Amino acid sequence: MQALRDISGRAGTLLTAMVFVLLLTAFPATAADAGYKAKPEPSSGDFDARKVIVDHVLDSYYWHLFDIADRSYSIHLPVILIYEGRFYVFLSSRFDHGKADYKGFAVAKEGSRKGRAIRVLADGRTPDPDAATIYDFSITRNVLSIFIASGLLCLLFIKVGKSYRDADIYATPKGLPLFFEPLITFVRDQIAILAIGPEKYHRFMPYLLTAFFFIFFNNLLGLLPIFPGGSNVTGNISVTFVLAMFTFFTAHWYANKTYWKHMFNMPGVPLFLKFPIPILPVIEIAGAFIKPFTLMIRLFANMTAGHMVILSLTSLIFVLGSVSVFLGYSISPITVLFLVFINFLKILVSFLQAYIFTLFSAFFFGMAVPKDSH
Amino acid sequence: MELLMPGLGLVFWMTVAFGVVLYILKKYAWKPILNVLDAREKHLAKSFSDAKRIEHEVTQLAAMKSEKIAEAEKIYEEITVKAERDAEKIIADAREKAEQEAHEISEKTDKMMQQFKEEAFRKVKGQISDLSIEIAEKVLLEELSDRDRNSRYVSSLLEKIAVN
Repeated sequence: MQALRDISGRAGTLLTAMVFVLLLTAFPATAADAGYKAKPEPSSGDFDARKVIVDHVLDSYYWHLFDIADRSYSIHLPVILIYEGRFYVFLSSRFDHGKADYKGFAVAKEGSRKGRAIRVLADGRTPDPDAATIYDFSITRNVLSIFIASGLLCLLFIKVGKSYRDADIYATPKGLPLFFEPLITFVRDQIAILAIGPEKYHRFMPYLLTAFFFIFFNNLLGLLPIFPGGSNVTGNISVTFVLAMFTFFTAHWYANKTYWKHMFNMPGVPLFLKFPIPILPVIEIAGAFIKPFTLMIRLFANMTAGHMVILSLTSLIFVLGSVSVFLGYSISPITVLFLVFINFLKILVSFLQAYIFTLFSAFFFGMAVPKDSH
Repeated sequence: MELLMPGLGLVFWMTVAFGVVLYILKKYAWKPILNVLDAREKHLAKSFSDAKRIEHEVTQLAAMKSEKIAEAEKIYEEITVKAERDAEKIIADAREKAEQEAHEISEKTDKMMQQFKEEAFRKVKGQISDLSIEIAEKVLLEELSDRDRNSRYVSSLLEKIAVN
């Protein structure tokens, strides 16, 4: 009987937590988010959905919070630039939302560095054609999002870890551990042990767990329409690139002799495949780079696509609203319903993408530490 | 295309942030958590094997117990049978002995009775002879006390002799 009550209590806590997360994320406040994006060109009455969406999924020097009575409230983040060996550190308020230039820098309106600082000529507008490379280390919205997510992760899991350090290990977990333990055992049993094997999975557990929860947290935070969420962190190619690199280096740091032997001198295949033209080694080496590359692209594309779907649906209200106010209002209930559905789907995708990235990383590790040559 | 271009700053900060998170979580979260999970699972596995072993032992003990009970019952039965047999034997012996004793006693009594009888006869005989002598004496004395008659009797006797 006790056991039954324990189980129902556990399920209850989990359910409450899940409903809480759903309520937080599914709330279609993304509408407000897109609303401010409509502001830059309010005079024309035209709503450029493409610009809104691309601007949103891109990085920026500001973090827009909310609009009150036509006033936009944003956090101005620090801009850190290295240009010709000199540091330039200033707040992005100097750019005045891209309208002003500062010390010869301005925000690019188009081109491959759109939204980023570029060197401009004296008129404060024209890009300097002779400018040297700018190394941009600014704390952008995505960087701040990463810091917030990292801080949150550390706080939460240090707390969880502490409760494990202190508590009676045979007691039923309560509170935070109760929520995270199933996920941790899931990563261990369904990812690490499954893909790497029960003998060698231990050393990869810290990285797999960190990657899983980092992606999962950032995905969920990305669903939050308000500060500190809403950034498309895991849908940013730089972030997925770094994650993929971590996977790549972890795999090759722990890779054993068999792995290297298979890469450069595959046993059991005819010599002409390896010499004089090293066809197999080339394929193997290319494979070693393609694997993390697919990890990078998969996570990036999935998360960005999700954000784009949500923003597109939200923009639909404003696109139709700019044609006719009545049309905008009448379409909104349908759009909001659809948004709720997509948000639910995105919660699933958040988990799924974290799972897939971690699982494929684990398979990569499993290939790096094969049992022995065959 | 700007979507697909990794930014240097973001790559740098992401590497730093992720590295720090990885280090901190490895040290302060994953290690204690995984240790506890491992310990718990080992404990569970041990408890499970212990339970299985104990269950096995209990079944063995139960089997042993019923075996012992059967044995005890057998012994009890044997003892009862033997006791009954012994009791019967004892009773039979006692009866035999009693009968023998009774027989002996009756024989002895008979003998004693015989002796008493003989003694009594002897005593009676002696008394009878004494009494006879006494009576004879008394009769004789009585007879002799009458002188005239005796003298007549003797004279008669003498007469007979004289005649002869």
